[in-house]
Amino acid sequence: MDYIVLVKQVPDVSNIPEDAWDREKGTLRRGLLDNVLNPLDLHALTFADRLSRGDPASRTVFLTMGPPAARDVLVDCLSRVPGEAVLLTDKAFAGADTGATAYSLACAIHRIERELFGGDRDYMIVAGMQSVDGDTAQVPPQIAEELGIDHIAYAKDLQLEPRMTIRRIASEGIEDVRPLRWPVLITVTACTDPLYRSFAQSRAARSAPIHEWNAKSVEADSTRTGLEGSWTQVYRLFSPSEDRPKTCEYVHNPVELIGKLAARYGSAAPGAALDAGEGYVLGDREPTYHGEFWVFAETEGDGVRSVSMELLGKSRRLADTLGEKVGAVLPCDAAGDRPAQLIAAGADTVYVLEHPLLASFDPLAHKKAIADLVRAHRPQVMLFGASPLGRELAPRVAYSCRSGLTADCTRLEIGDFDKGSVHLVGILKQTRPALGGNVMATIMTKDSPGQMATVRPGVFKVPDPDPDRTGEILFPPVELSTDDLGLESVLVESFASKVSIRDAEIIVAGGHGFRSRADFDTYLQPLAVGLGRLLGASTKVAASRMAVEDGFTTHDYQVGQTGQTVQPRLYVAIGISGAVQHITGMQGSEIVVAINKDPKARIFNYADYGIVGDIETIVPELIRATEGAA
Amino acid sequence: MSAPIDVLVVGAGPAGLAAAIRIRQQLAATGRDASVVVIDKAPRPGHHCLSGAAFEPACLDELVPGWRDDRRFMEHVIPVERDEMYFLFGSRAIQLPPLVVPRPMNHLGDVTISLSRLVAFLAGKAERAGVEIYSGYSARTLLVEDGRVVGVGLGEVGLDAHGGDKSNHRTAEEIRARVTILADGTHGVISTQLRDRFGAGRHPQVYSLGIKAVVQYADENAFGTNRVLHTLGYPNPASVFGGGFMYSMGEKTVAVGLILGLDWKYGDLTPQREFERYRAHPFIADLLRGSVTVATGAKTIPEGGYYSLGRLAVPGALVVGDGAGFVNMEKIKGIHYAIRSGMAAAETVAAGLAAPDGARVPLVGYADRLEARGVLPDLRRARNYRQSFRWGIYPGAPLSMVQRWIPARMGMEPDFEGTRRGARLDRPDPGGMDGATFVSLTGSLHREDEPAHMTVLDPEKCVGCEADYANSCTHFCPGQVYRWDGSKIVLSASNCLHCMTCAVKCPLENIRWLPPEGGEGPRFKQM
Repeated sequence: MDYIVLVKQVPDVSNIPEDAWDREKGTLRRGLLDNVLNPLDLHALTFADRLSRGDPASRTVFLTMGPPAARDVLVDCLSRVPGEAVLLTDKAFAGADTGATAYSLACAIHRIERELFGGDRDYMIVAGMQSVDGDTAQVPPQIAEELGIDHIAYAKDLQLEPRMTIRRIASEGIEDVRPLRWPVLITVTACTDPLYRSFAQSRAARSAPIHEWNAKSVEADSTRTGLEGSWTQVYRLFSPSEDRPKTCEYVHNPVELIGKLAARYGSAAPGAALDAGEGYVLGDREPTYHGEFWVFAETEGDGVRSVSMELLGKSRRLADTLGEKVGAVLPCDAAGDRPAQLIAAGADTVYVLEHPLLASFDPLAHKKAIADLVRAHRPQVMLFGASPLGRELAPRVAYSCRSGLTADCTRLEIGDFDKGSVHLVGILKQTRPALGGNVMATIMTKDSPGQMATVRPGVFKVPDPDPDRTGEILFPPVELSTDDLGLESVLVESFASKVSIRDAEIIVAGGHGFRSRADFDTYLQPLAVGLGRLLGASTKVAASRMAVEDGFTTHDYQVGQTGQTVQPRLYVAIGISGAVQHITGMQGSEIVVAINKDPKARIFNYADYGIVGDIETIVPELIRATEGAA
Repeated sequence: MSAPIDVLVVGAGPAGLAAAIRIRQQLAATGRDASVVVIDKAPRPGHHCLSGAAFEPACLDELVPGWRDDRRFMEHVIPVERDEMYFLFGSRAIQLPPLVVPRPMNHLGDVTISLSRLVAFLAGKAERAGVEIYSGYSARTLLVEDGRVVGVGLGEVGLDAHGGDKSNHRTAEEIRARVTILADGTHGVISTQLRDRFGAGRHPQVYSLGIKAVVQYADENAFGTNRVLHTLGYPNPASVFGGGFMYSMGEKTVAVGLILGLDWKYGDLTPQREFERYRAHPFIADLLRGSVTVATGAKTIPEGGYYSLGRLAVPGALVVGDGAGFVNMEKIKGIHYAIRSGMAAAETVAAGLAAPDGARVPLVGYADRLEARGVLPDLRRARNYRQSFRWGIYPGAPLSMVQRWIPARMGMEPDFEGTRRGARLDRPDPGGMDGATFVSLTGSLHREDEPAHMTVLDPEKCVGCEADYANSCTHFCPGQVYRWDGSKIVLSASNCLHCMTCAVKCPLENIRWLPPEGGEGPRFKQM
C-alpha cells in the first residue's frame, strides 16, 4: 500500500501580529503573516505514518499546490516522514476556488499513480479535513469526486489488525469504517500528537527529491484550472466587527440580566437581524438564474435535523422575493411523516428519494441520487446544513453538477452584481467567515448551472410549523445498486452521550478570578445548568488558560488561541480578564456576557452585557434568577 | 545519511550568522568547501532577537558588501539625524547639553534598526552563501569528549506535562561537528555550560533587563523621524542602573524601551510595571500620543564587560557575541561586537580547516583577531564602566567618566545577590498595558502540555522567600511566568519570553532554565 499526503501552506492565523490588521478596512494584510504548514495536515501526515508503519515497502508522496515558496512545507513534511514530494506550481493555477483546486490536484494524483506508483492503484490519499485559511473542507471530497473514489471524512483513529479500520466522526456518533475498494481518500481531523521534525531528517530533506510539476505536465485542461476554471468568486472582504459591533451594556441587577438574556436569546437568531436581502425588489428585470430553491433534508431518527428546517424557513423568504418555489430533497429508506413536516416548514415540493440503500449515509450513493435529481430539475439554489454529513455530501454533489459551492455561510441574501461587463441580477450572495474568523468574505457563484452553499447550524431560526400549508410530494425514481456503495460502517458510540465544548449553544467559562477548584465547581456548573434549562439549549462549562493552569479543569475545556475556538450563541465569561489569547477563541460568539470585579478588564470590550462585581455574590444571584425566571 | 558537519554554529543571531557567512566567504575565496550548519531554537531566524537598536553599521560593509542596495531592507534602516539625552524627574524632563554627554554615547552616524529584521536579512544572505540554517532546534547540552567540544545535544521532544512519553516522542539527537561556534546569546545555556567546564571570567557576569515596545502612530508621529532619545532618571530609583530610550523606526513607527540593571535590591520591583510607569511620564506620554502598541518584548543584556569574559576558545569550540559577553557598556552596544566577533571566529575556523590534520581542527589566534577587530580593546577601555554604577547613578555618573583611569579592577557581585532581604519599592500600579497583553504582543507560544522548561529547584525555599524577597520571581519576570498561590510558586511556562532574567535574578538561585522544544517562545518580528 502506498500513500499520498495532501498538504497546504497557509498563513499562521494563530499568531497575527497587531500591525497586520488594516484598521481602516478591518481586514488582514496577509503578507505580514508567517507561512506555515496547515495544522491539520500535520495530523494527516502522522495518520499516514501510522497507516504505513510495519510496511517497509510502502511509499509516501507529499503533494502540494501553490507558489514556488510552498516548497517549504514539503521540506517540513520530509523532515518528519521520509518520502518523496511533488510541488504542483504554475501561474495557470492561481486564483483557483475549491473545485478548480480539486481538479488540478486530481490531475497530479493521476500522474503520481502513473509514474511514481507504476500504475498500481493500491494506495490511499490522506489529507487534513480543512485548511485554516479557506476552512471549507471542500477540496478533499471534490478530489474524491473527480477521481470517482470513496471518501472517509473526519477520521480520528485507526486500527490495522485484523483488518484496516478507520474510526471517524459521523453525524450520529463515532463510526468504524472499512473501505471496500482502492484507492480511497481519508480526511483527518485533529486526532493525534503530530510527529516532530528530526534534525537528521531535516538535513536529509534538503537533498530529497521534490518533483516540480506544472499544468501542462499533469495534462490539466486549462479551462478548468485557476480563476478561469473556478465556479465561485469573492465579491467582497470585510471585517467581522462590521457585522457585530459590541458596546457593553452594564447591568447592575442579575435578575435584570437574566431577563435581558432570555429576551435576546429567544428573539433573534444571529442571521435573523441581517436579512437585508429579503427586502430585495426584482421589479421587471430578468433574473440571472431561474428555478426552485432547494434544501437538502437531513434525517435524524424519524425526523429532520433542525438545520434543514432552519434552511427551509430561510429559503422560503429568499424564494418569495423572486417569486420562486421551494423544494426539499429527502433521501431515506422510508419517508414516514417527514414530508408533512417539511411542507409545514415552508416546502412547496418534497422530493422523496426512497431506496433501501439510502437508509444510512454512504457518500457515493447519496451523491448519485441527489445529483441525478439536480440535473433533472435544475434548481437555481441548493442549500445544505454544514453538519458533518452535509460538509461531506455537498462538495461532491456540487462538483458532480459543475456548480460552485460556498462553505459554512453565516449570511445569505439576494442581490445584484454590476462590474465592468458583468451584470448579474437576483443572485444569491453568500457570506462566510474566513482566515480563522478574522475576515468575512461575501462570495458569488459563477459559470454554474445553480448556486450551492452549506450553512452553519443555528444561524437561522427554525420556522414555526404551519400545518395548513399544502405542497406536493414526489417520488422520483432512484437507481442505485450495491455497486454504488463504497464503505462498510458500524456505529460504535452515539453522540447522545458526549458533546465537545465546540458544539454547545451556551458556554459558561471561568478564569483566574476563581479562587479555587471548589469555587469553580460550585459556581459554574449550576449556572450553566440554569441557563440551559431556562433557554432550552445545550450548555458546557469551559475555562481560560489561567484557570486550566490553576488546575480547575483540563485542557479539553480551554477556550483560546492554544485551546479551542468556540462560537456559541451565548458565552458567559466569569473572572476572565480578556487576554488576546482568550479573545481569539471566543470572539465569534453571538452574545457575550462578562462578569468581572475589575471594571477595566478587557473582556468588557468584547461583551454585550457586563456586570462588575464579585463572583461570590453575583453568580449565586444569577443562578437564583435563572430558577426564578423558569 | 547526510554529509558530516564541519562547522556547527549554535544560535542564529547576528554573531552566529556573521560567523557562518564569513566562513563560507573565506572558503569560497580559497576554492574550498566545508559544511556550515546553523541551528536555532526560534521558529525562524530573528524571532528570538531583541535590541534597541542604535547600530554602528560599518561592520556590515565588510561582511555583506552591497547591503545598502537592498531597498526593502533599507526601508527599515533609519539614519540618526537627531540625538538627545534627557534627565527625567517625576514630572519634568531636562535635556543634557550635548557637551556633557560622553562621546561614546553619541549616535550621530549610527542607524536605528530592528535586530529581528537585521537577523532575518543576514539569514537570507547566509543561505545564499551556502549556509544550512535549521530553525526550531533547541540545544540543551554541550558535548565534550576527551576535553574537546564535539558538538551539542538537543532536547528530547514529545513529553507530556509529567515527563512521560507521548505517542510522538522523539529521543534527544546529538549534532556532532569538527568545530562548534557558540553564539547562543545572552546567558546562553550552552556557553554557560562551556564556562562552567572550561573557566569563567574573573568577575561574575552581570545583566540588565530591557523591556521594549514598538508603537505605531495612526496619524501624526509625535516623536518624529530619524531621532534617537535617551533618558536617565525616572522611573528608575537612584540605586538602579539603567535608563529609557525612544528610537524612530520608520515613518510612523517608534521603539520605546526601558533598561534596568538586574542588581537592583528591591524584591518587588516589577520591570513591566516600571516600563508602563516610564511610558506614563508626561514627557514620554506626550511623545507617544496617538500611538498604538503593536509589538512587545524583553531580553537581558550581558553587561559585565571585559573582566566577565570567560574562556573564548577551547579545543573544538569558540564563543562569540552576547554568549561570550561582548557588550561595550560605555556605548551600551553589542550588535557590532557580535558581528565582529563572529567574523573573527570565522577567520580562525577557516584557517584551522585549512590545516593538514583533518581530525582536530586547530583554533589558533582568535584572541588576536578579536584585538585586531577592536572587540577586546573597546571592552578593555570600558572595563570598569558598568561597575562604576554599582552604588547607583549619582556616584556612578562621575565615576564612569574616569573609570578607564581607575587602576584597580572594580568587581561586582552576581545579580541574584543584589536583591536585599526586606527591601521593597512599594510603588502604586501605574496603569497602562496589563501584563497579559504585554505577553500576548510578544507572540510567545509554547505547547501547553509539555513539562515546564523552567524548574523551581527546591519549592521549600520559596516559602520563606515571600517574607524575605517578596517572591521576587513573581515580580521580575516580564512574562508573568511565576505566580505565588499562597503556598507555592505556580508556573505559566507557556508565557515565557526567553529573556533569561529568572536564570540570573532569583535571590535563592532556585530557578533553572533550559530551552523548551524547538520552535517555541516569542516571535519577535520587529524587535
